[in-house]
Amino acid sequence: MTGPLAIDAAVLAPVLAPAGGALFVLVLDAIAPRRGAVHAWVGVLALVLGISSAVPGALRAPGNPLRTLCLPAPDGACFYDAGPLASALQLGALFSTLVVLLLLWPVPPVPTPAPAAPAAPAAPGQPSPRFWVPGRRGSAASAHPIAGGGAPMRGGPAVLVALLLAGTAGATAVAAATDLGSWLVALELATLPAIALVALGGTRPAIEGAVSLLLTSLLSFAVAVLGAALWVVASGEAVFTTGAVARATATPERSAVLGLAVLLLVAGLGFKLSLVPFHAWTPQAYAGGSEPVAAFLAATSKIAALAALVVVLRPLAEAGHAAVVAVAVLAAASMTVGNVLALVQDDPVRLLAWSTVAQAGWVVMPLAAVRPTSLPAAGGYVLAYALATLLAFGVVVLVGAGLRDAPAALGRGVPHGRSLTAYRGLLRTRPLLGAALGLALVSLAGLPPGILGLAAKVLALQPVVAAGLWPLALVAVANAVVGIAVYLRWFALLVQPPEPVASAAAVAAPAAPAPPGAVAAVALTGIALAVTCIAPQLVLGLVG
Amino acid sequence: MILLALAVLPAVALWLLAAGRGLDHRTVSTVSLAASLVALACTVAAVVARPEVDRPWVPALGLRWQLGVDGISAPLLLLTAALGVAVVAHSRSRPPAGGTSSAFHSCLLLVEFGALATFLTRDAVLFFVAFEVVLVPMWVLITRFGDAHRPAARADAGGRFVLYTALGSTLMLIGILALVQAAGTADLTILAEAAGHGIPLHTQTVVAALLTAGLAIKVPVWPLHTWLPPAHTTAPTAGSVLLAAVLLKMGTYGLVRLPLATVPGGFARLAPALAVLGAVGILWGGLACLVERDLKRLVAYSSVAHMGFVVLALAAGSSTGLQAALFANVAHGVISALLFVVVGGLKERWGSADLETARAALREVAPRLGFSLLLGLAAALGLPGLAGFWGEWLAVYAAWSPAPDRPLGLLRACAVAAVLGTVLAAGYALRVARLVWSGARTEPRVEDARSVEWGVIAALVAAVVVLGVLPGPLLATTSSAASALVGAAP
Repeated sequence: MTGPLAIDAAVLAPVLAPAGGALFVLVLDAIAPRRGAVHAWVGVLALVLGISSAVPGALRAPGNPLRTLCLPAPDGACFYDAGPLASALQLGALFSTLVVLLLLWPVPPVPTPAPAAPAAPAAPGQPSPRFWVPGRRGSAASAHPIAGGGAPMRGGPAVLVALLLAGTAGATAVAAATDLGSWLVALELATLPAIALVALGGTRPAIEGAVSLLLTSLLSFAVAVLGAALWVVASGEAVFTTGAVARATATPERSAVLGLAVLLLVAGLGFKLSLVPFHAWTPQAYAGGSEPVAAFLAATSKIAALAALVVVLRPLAEAGHAAVVAVAVLAAASMTVGNVLALVQDDPVRLLAWSTVAQAGWVVMPLAAVRPTSLPAAGGYVLAYALATLLAFGVVVLVGAGLRDAPAALGRGVPHGRSLTAYRGLLRTRPLLGAALGLALVSLAGLPPGILGLAAKVLALQPVVAAGLWPLALVAVANAVVGIAVYLRWFALLVQPPEPVASAAAVAAPAAPAPPGAVAAVALTGIALAVTCIAPQLVLGLVG
Repeated sequence: MILLALAVLPAVALWLLAAGRGLDHRTVSTVSLAASLVALACTVAAVVARPEVDRPWVPALGLRWQLGVDGISAPLLLLTAALGVAVVAHSRSRPPAGGTSSAFHSCLLLVEFGALATFLTRDAVLFFVAFEVVLVPMWVLITRFGDAHRPAARADAGGRFVLYTALGSTLMLIGILALVQAAGTADLTILAEAAGHGIPLHTQTVVAALLTAGLAIKVPVWPLHTWLPPAHTTAPTAGSVLLAAVLLKMGTYGLVRLPLATVPGGFARLAPALAVLGAVGILWGGLACLVERDLKRLVAYSSVAHMGFVVLALAAGSSTGLQAALFANVAHGVISALLFVVVGGLKERWGSADLETARAALREVAPRLGFSLLLGLAAALGLPGLAGFWGEWLAVYAAWSPAPDRPLGLLRACAVAAVLGTVLAAGYALRVARLVWSGARTEPRVEDARSVEWGVIAALVAAVVVLGVLPGPLLATTSSAASALVGAAP
C-alpha cells in the first residue's frame, strides 16, 4: 500500500505476467541475441504463470470480483475489476496464446530429408533456430522454388514472442479495465501486435493483409474513441459502471447520446470481432499471414474483443438499455454472410476465416437480448469456439507441415495443404490427426460428439428465446443448418477413402518429423476439447 | 443398471473406432454383437425394474442426466434394443463395403445409443442432445456405406438427411427453450403433470408450433418428407432398418412427449392442421407407391403413409388415439424393419431394386424371402391378424370419434381419407407381389435367405404375427401412461 492507489500485484498477475514476460524477452534478446528456444520457454513460463493466477478469479462467486488499483476510501472506485466472466476470458486468452506459441515453436535447423528433394534446399547451415512458418508456402509457392523450405518469419524469435505476449497482456487487461483510458489503451495493445505478427510473415499477401488490418483497426479505433468521448458526454464520467449509465439514462437527451456512444463502441469493436459489415479484413489477414498467426487472430484477438465488449455492455445490461438491440442486426448479418461464404471456400484457412465471421455472430447473439444470462452466454460461447478453432488451426498447421516436408508428393501434383482436398482420407492415413480435426469441426458445427459446441449453442440461444427475439432465433436456426453444411463439407473429406496416389506417395516418402511444438499444441487442445465434450461444465461453468 | 446399458454402447463404439482398424470383420462383429446383447439385457432389466437416475451434468445449462422408463417409452426401448441386436447380427455375414467394419459397427452402436438415450431421457434439453447424437453416425452410414454404385446420390442423400433433421431439431430446440423459459423447469415429468397450466394459450401455441414443426421433419410429416426416400434408397440395409424402425420413432415419440404432453392447449389448436397433413401423407405415400419403380424407395414411401396414420391418431386427441399412435409406432417399427431387411437383401442380390427389370419370381427361387416380403406387405396394408391392423384401424377409429374439442367433421373426413389410403396400400402391395413374388420365371436365380439372415427375418416375422394376434400386452403397457397424459389435459 504505497501512494494513493492501492495495488495488489497478485490480482494483477494475469496482466503483469505476459507484459513482464514480453519485456524480459526483449531484454534477454538485447543481452544474449540468437537464443530462440529460450525466448519461447520464457513465453511459456509467463503464460503458465498468467493462467495459474487467473484461475482463482474465474472460480470466485459472481458477486465478489477481484478488484485492485482502487482509489482511497471515500471515493473507492477501482480501475481493475475482474469478475468470474472477465477472469474466464483472461484464462481463455492466455491459453489461446499458449497454443499459438506452441504452434510457432522454433525448430532447430535440420537439413532437408535426404531422399526428399533436390528442389528444396531448405536454407542449409543457417545457424540460429528459426520459427517454423507453414503459411508462407501457400503464397510463395509459385514465386520461389524453395517453397518447401519454410523460410523463417522475419523479426526473429524474441520479437515474435514479445509481440504475442504483449497482445495477450492487452487482452487480459481490457477484460478487467473499468475506466475509459485503460480500456482504450489495452484494446490497442491487444490489436497492434497482431498487425505486426501478420506483417512479419514477410510475403506480399502478408503485407497486404497487415495493411488491411492496420487500416481497419485505425478506423475502428477512431470510431471507438468517438464512442468513448460520447460516453463521457452522456454520463459525465470516464468509467464503465452502472452508476455512470444510471446518470446518463436519467434524462432522455443524455440517454440518446449514450445510445449513440454504445453504437459507436460496438461498431469499433465490430471490426475486431469481424462482425459483418466490419469483416472485410478477415480473410485477407488470415490467409496472408501464417496459420499460427491466423489462429492468434481467431482466438486471442476474438476473446479480447468480446472481453472489451462485455466491459461496455455489462453496466448497460444491468440497466436494461435498449441500444443493445443493435447487436441483433450485426449478429444476424455476420452469421449469414460468414456461413454462406464459408460454404464456397477451398482454402481451409479462408474457410476458417469466414467461419470466424459466422461464429462471431453467434458470440454476440446472446448480447442482443438484455438479460442477466446474456454476458455469460457470450463468454461461454467464445471460449468453446476458441478451443475448437485452435484445434482446427493446429491440425491445418500439421497437415501443411506433412505435405511441405514431402516434396515428392508435391512433385506429383498433389495439392499442397492449402486446399481442402489435402484432407481427403485423413482419418485413414493419420487417424489421430483426423479424429482431432473431426472433433473440432463437429464442435464448431454444434453436433454430437462435439457436445461442447452443442452446449454452447444452447447456451447462446437461451437468452434470445427467453427475451422473445423470434426473428433472431429463426435466423440462428437457419444458420445452424448452413453451419453444419459448412463443416460437414470438410468433415466428409476426412471420412472418404484416401486418394491412391497420395497414399502411395506417403508410403514412398519417409514421413518427415512433425514440428514438435505443433504436435504438442494439437495434443493439448485435442485433449482439452475431448475432455470438455464429456464435461462441458469445465468451460461453461467458468463464466459464472 | 440403466446407466450401464447406456455406457456400454458408446464405449465399445469408441474402442472400435480407436483400436478396431486392424481387426477383421468377424471379430468386430462378435464384439458389437456382445455389446448390443448387453444393451438389450440391460434394457429389459430397466423396463422391468424401472430405475430412475437424476444427477447434474452441465449446471450452466441446467442440464441433468435425468433418465427413467414409463409405459410410453418401454415398448420403444425394447424395440430399439432388439433391433440393435438384429442389425448387428444381420451384418455378420456381409462385410460392409466402403469402409472398415469397425467404423460401420461403431456407427450402428452409436445410432442405437442415441435412440435409447432419447427414449430414456426425462429432461427436455437432454432430449435434444440425445436427439442430435444419431445425426453424425447415421450420416456416415449413408454417405460411406450406402449404395456403392452411386457416390453422388449417397452424398446428396446423406447431406439432405443431416440438414433436414438438423433444421428440425434446432427448431425443436427453440421450442424447448421457450417451453423451459415459460414453465420454469426442463423436467418432462413435471411438465407433463402440469400439462401447460400457467402458460398463456398464446405462448402454448407458439411453443407447440415450434416443437411440432421441428419434430414433423423427423417423423416425417408430408410435405416435409422429401429427405426420407433418398436416405432410405441409398442407406445400407442395417442403416435403413435403423432409420425406419428407430429414428422415425424418435419423431413421433417426441411429438407425444413434448407438444402433446407439455402444451396440450397449444397442440389442440394445431391438431386439425396436423390431421390434414397426416391424411395427405397417407394418400400421397400410397399414390407414390403405386407408380414407384425402386422397391426400396417404395417401402420408404409406404413409411410416409404409415407415419401419416400415427400423426392422424395423435391429432385425434383422445386416449384411444394416443394408444393407436403408440401401437402403430411399434408395429411400423417391426414391419418396416422386416421389409427393409428383405428388400435390402433383395437389392444386394439383384444389384438394384428396379421393379421394371424382369427377374425370377421369388415364389419359385427364394420362397423364404418371398413369403416374408408378402407377409410384410400384408401387415403393412393392415390385414387382420398382423401387427399393422391394430394401429391403423384404431387410428381410423380414433379419428372418426375424436376428443370433444377437435373439429368432428374435419377429422371424420381425414378418417375417410385414411381408409382410402389403406385401399391404395392394398393396391401397391398387390403390385409388388405381382412383379416380384408371382410368376413362373426362374432365371436369374437368386439365393434364398439362410442362416443368420433367415434367423433375423424369422424373428421379425414372428414379432409381426405375435403383435397382430396378441395386441393385449402392448396395449396394456401403454394404456395407463396414455390415459394419464390425455387425462391431464385441460
